[in-house]
Amino acid sequence: MFDLSYFFGVFPVIASKLQVTLLLTLTAAVFSIIIGVTIAVIAYYKIRILYPITRFYLSILRGTPLVAQLYFFYYGLARVSEIVLNMKPLTAVALVLSLNTGAFMSESIRGALLSVDSGQKEAAAMMGMSELQTIRRIVLPQAFRVSLPALFNDLINLLKATSLAFMLGVRDIMGQAKSEGAQSFRYFEIYLAVMIIYWLLVLGFSHLHKIMDRKCMEMY
Amino acid sequence: MIEISHLWKSFDGETDILKDINISIQKGEIVAILGSSGTGKSTLLRCLNYLTKPTDGIIRIGSHGIDAKKHSKKEIMELRSHSAMVFQNYNLFKNKTAIENIMEALITVKGKSKREAQEIGLRLLDKVGMLERKDFFPSKLSGGQQQRVGIARALALNPEVLLLDEPTSALDPELVGEVLNTIQKVAEDGATMILVTHEVMFARRIATRILFMAEGTIIADGTPKEILDNPEDERVKRFLDYNLK
Repeated sequence: MFDLSYFFGVFPVIASKLQVTLLLTLTAAVFSIIIGVTIAVIAYYKIRILYPITRFYLSILRGTPLVAQLYFFYYGLARVSEIVLNMKPLTAVALVLSLNTGAFMSESIRGALLSVDSGQKEAAAMMGMSELQTIRRIVLPQAFRVSLPALFNDLINLLKATSLAFMLGVRDIMGQAKSEGAQSFRYFEIYLAVMIIYWLLVLGFSHLHKIMDRKCMEMY
Repeated sequence: MIEISHLWKSFDGETDILKDINISIQKGEIVAILGSSGTGKSTLLRCLNYLTKPTDGIIRIGSHGIDAKKHSKKEIMELRSHSAMVFQNYNLFKNKTAIENIMEALITVKGKSKREAQEIGLRLLDKVGMLERKDFFPSKLSGGQQQRVGIARALALNPEVLLLDEPTSALDPELVGEVLNTIQKVAEDGATMILVTHEVMFARRIATRILFMAEGTIIADGTPKEILDNPEDERVKRFLDYNLK
């Protein structure tokens, strides 16, 4: 039966790996936003040569499972690349998650860029602003607000996807749970704790989204 | 000061919107372009700063001419530096307050310091009667107020010619007056202006010259008195009958 005292004992042990999960999520979030914005801007201007390359990249990253990408990168590329061979599992997971989430975020941002009224660009052009100034100071800030719900969606997916890190041997929340389970076989208590921790994290992110949304609304 | 020669514009290579436009405009002139919808008035105005690229012809503002057939990005920027435009839909930057809208290009394009830009912004907002709302975002302003900020923003660029593209067409009737008054004030300061409008009475009051367009060409060019009081062309007569009723 459900062992309450075991549950309360194992919960903090698993939760102690929160920082690994959060570190992974935040690192990958920063890089995927950078990748996402870059690819979205390339698509927005349909920049020669780069545009077809990014389309191909998107097609691969969105068209294959994340687990396959992790294995292909960490075990597959390690056969041909010294760098990957010597890479820490945590770094490898952060990298693959960045590349993967960046692909999804780029589509969220691209849609938002297209939603910005063309009159905004005309006004900037009329005043002599360069394309770079226009996108950076006018179009992207407006698009950011539009893409906020989609970006938070991507972010929540990213948080949950970090739970695959254990497959490369990273000891995050999921990895810790697995090793606890191997010792005690109390899977019910252990994975209930895992579910609750992830759920609380996602609730936190949703709350953050609401606050940012309200801030944006107050502005304009 | 402005020379337009043999200007053509066609969309999709078939429909000619502008057909061989030739005009020269002197410093200090206030030119109103009148005509029915779809006759190429706005297209002509937008060709003057290449927001719409003409198909053929040369536009000269100031010393440098730009050829529609061959030109560089730099030449377009050069052309744009001589003029400023007020849009039908205001097109204020939605993520910037009233004063930031004015300061934006002063800082990023004209290279002024933040303080200088702010001083200019405050002075111009005062001129258009929007000083009290300097920190409002466009979404918190009425159409008329947005357009007054739009005019201040254009003036901040210190343009040699001010281009106004139907500045009151998107406004509720009760807001038209405040914007027309602002434009009149600017006109009285001696600015060179080209104004596309449907407000015939207003054009008559402030314009020194009227161009009347039909089917992509200028069919009448003269003082308001000549064009509006004794119209010769049948199309001008019909337009006036309809618009002054």
